[in-house]
Amino acid sequence: MDWASILYLGITFGLFVIFALIVVRTYSRKRKDENEVAKFRMLDDD
Amino acid sequence: MENPSYNTDIVRSFVTWSLVWGLVAVLVGVIVSFQMINPDLNFGPYLTFGRLRPIHTNAGIYGWGVGTIFATFLYMVQRLCKQPLWSDKLAKFQLWFFNATIIASAVTLLLGYTTSKEYHEMEWPIDIMVVILWVVFAVNIIMTIINRKEEQMYISLWYMMAALIGVAILYLVNAAAVPASLFKSYSAYAGTNDANVHWWFGHNAVAMALTAPPLAMFYYFLPKSTGVPIYSHRLSIIAFWSLIFMYLWTGAHHLLWTPVPDWVQTLAMAFSIMLIAPSWGSVINGYLSMNGQWHQMKENYLVKFLILGITFYGLQTLQGPMQSIRSFSAFIHYTDWVPAHIHMGTMGWVSMISYACIYYLVTRISGRDLYSVPLANLHFWLALVGQLLWTVPLWVAGVLQAGMWNAMNEDGSLTYTFMETMVEMYPFWWARGIAGVIFMIGVLIFIYNIYMTVRKKESAPSTATAEGRA
Ligand code: HEM
Repeated sequence: MDWASILYLGITFGLFVIFALIVVRTYSRKRKDENEVAKFRMLDDD
Repeated sequence: MENPSYNTDIVRSFVTWSLVWGLVAVLVGVIVSFQMINPDLNFGPYLTFGRLRPIHTNAGIYGWGVGTIFATFLYMVQRLCKQPLWSDKLAKFQLWFFNATIIASAVTLLLGYTTSKEYHEMEWPIDIMVVILWVVFAVNIIMTIINRKEEQMYISLWYMMAALIGVAILYLVNAAAVPASLFKSYSAYAGTNDANVHWWFGHNAVAMALTAPPLAMFYYFLPKSTGVPIYSHRLSIIAFWSLIFMYLWTGAHHLLWTPVPDWVQTLAMAFSIMLIAPSWGSVINGYLSMNGQWHQMKENYLVKFLILGITFYGLQTLQGPMQSIRSFSAFIHYTDWVPAHIHMGTMGWVSMISYACIYYLVTRISGRDLYSVPLANLHFWLALVGQLLWTVPLWVAGVLQAGMWNAMNEDGSLTYTFMETMVEMYPFWWARGIAGVIFMIGVLIFIYNIYMTVRKKESAPSTATAEGRA
């Protein structure tokens, strides 16, 4: 494997980890209410 | 009641201009469709198919599509952030510069100046205008978001930011060129690289201009129209991030079976199939948001447009991945199947959502009832029938065309000449032309209804109709 391929793999893996962290954070039980509140707030009178 | 500190004048102006350019796009579309049936309708040198076609696509995407994006984003951002626009002056400049850019594009395309890159035909001076326009818009929206009074960011804001940043990057990279004169430039990339960069731009223009913004609108205007929140904000966030992570890799599905390296094609193919998940994340979220509210499909004209719109998005995002598979692409690529795919997206998804948004905005901002709900319902049916009569015959035409191109005699020679395959297309092209006229009548009724609503003499504001109920 040359350096370019290793870099490519590293970036792909890094992006995957970031995505996995976003999923974990969004679906964490602790933050459930916090992550749903915006959908009610947007219905407030303009 | 509208918060008086919000800038609604600018929204009204953008709605007006997007309607103007939308009508131009559809009218020119109808003309080019009949030029394909009857070549005598080409009046050279300015009114030939070659010059009018890019005017149709650019007026559609940049005039109608982006004009509606400007109107809705400027409206939504103020309400979702509970904060007036960062700069009203910048927004006003944006309005005039937008129209100047569209007019400059139309004139230069009519004169025959083109980079020949699809969806990026305008020459470098207009590229610079587009960049200024987008930067002004992006700065205004992003500064309003930064100064927001609402802590939590609703999903529409995420899609809006993605569109702002995404379009800027795509456009800048693909626009890189060396000017040779005022209206001639050469791409900074050569050969296969040029094609690869171009379709990375092309496909992500679909993502960042024709997918992310209509999703931002859908997530905002559906709950505002039904009066109930979306099913799951968390699902919308996951769908958003997965869409963002996946879309940028898929451009090479436009270049299957070309000299682009095989691994790039395979990557695009795999990511295109994976895209079904985030796309359907939004579709399912939309459907589940209608739990207990399906009766509104009958009672609320806005909901009809929005739900049919998201349904066509769902169909597009199943058909698109299918087209990204090598063997399937070998069959339908270069045939009339592909324009049918495009038009279910533009007429079925983007336009249906945009119509709902504009009906909502006009009634809401003016505080008046819609002039005629039956006319809005008629518009809905004309838009739906016009779109289906456009797309379904062209899929059939595409399959027929591909079948004829691939047919071989026992000795290995081709069964049909190219001309024979073209002649077979005429009935389908007639259907398309008629469908275009039906769709255009719908647009004229839509504009008439909007015009009568805003010019109507004083009437009591009604929340019921502002939200689309009869
Ligand atoms: C998962 C989502 C999607 C995927 C994977 C996808 C895939 C594709 C593919 C493979 C093509 C090229 C077909 C060919 O030339 O052989 C194509 C063309 C196109 N698609 Fe989609 N599509 C998707 C969704 C959409 C949506 C939502 C729109 C909205 C309008 C759209 C608009 C277009 C346009 C404008 C073209 C034409 C490009 C050209 O002029 O050649 N697509 N799509």
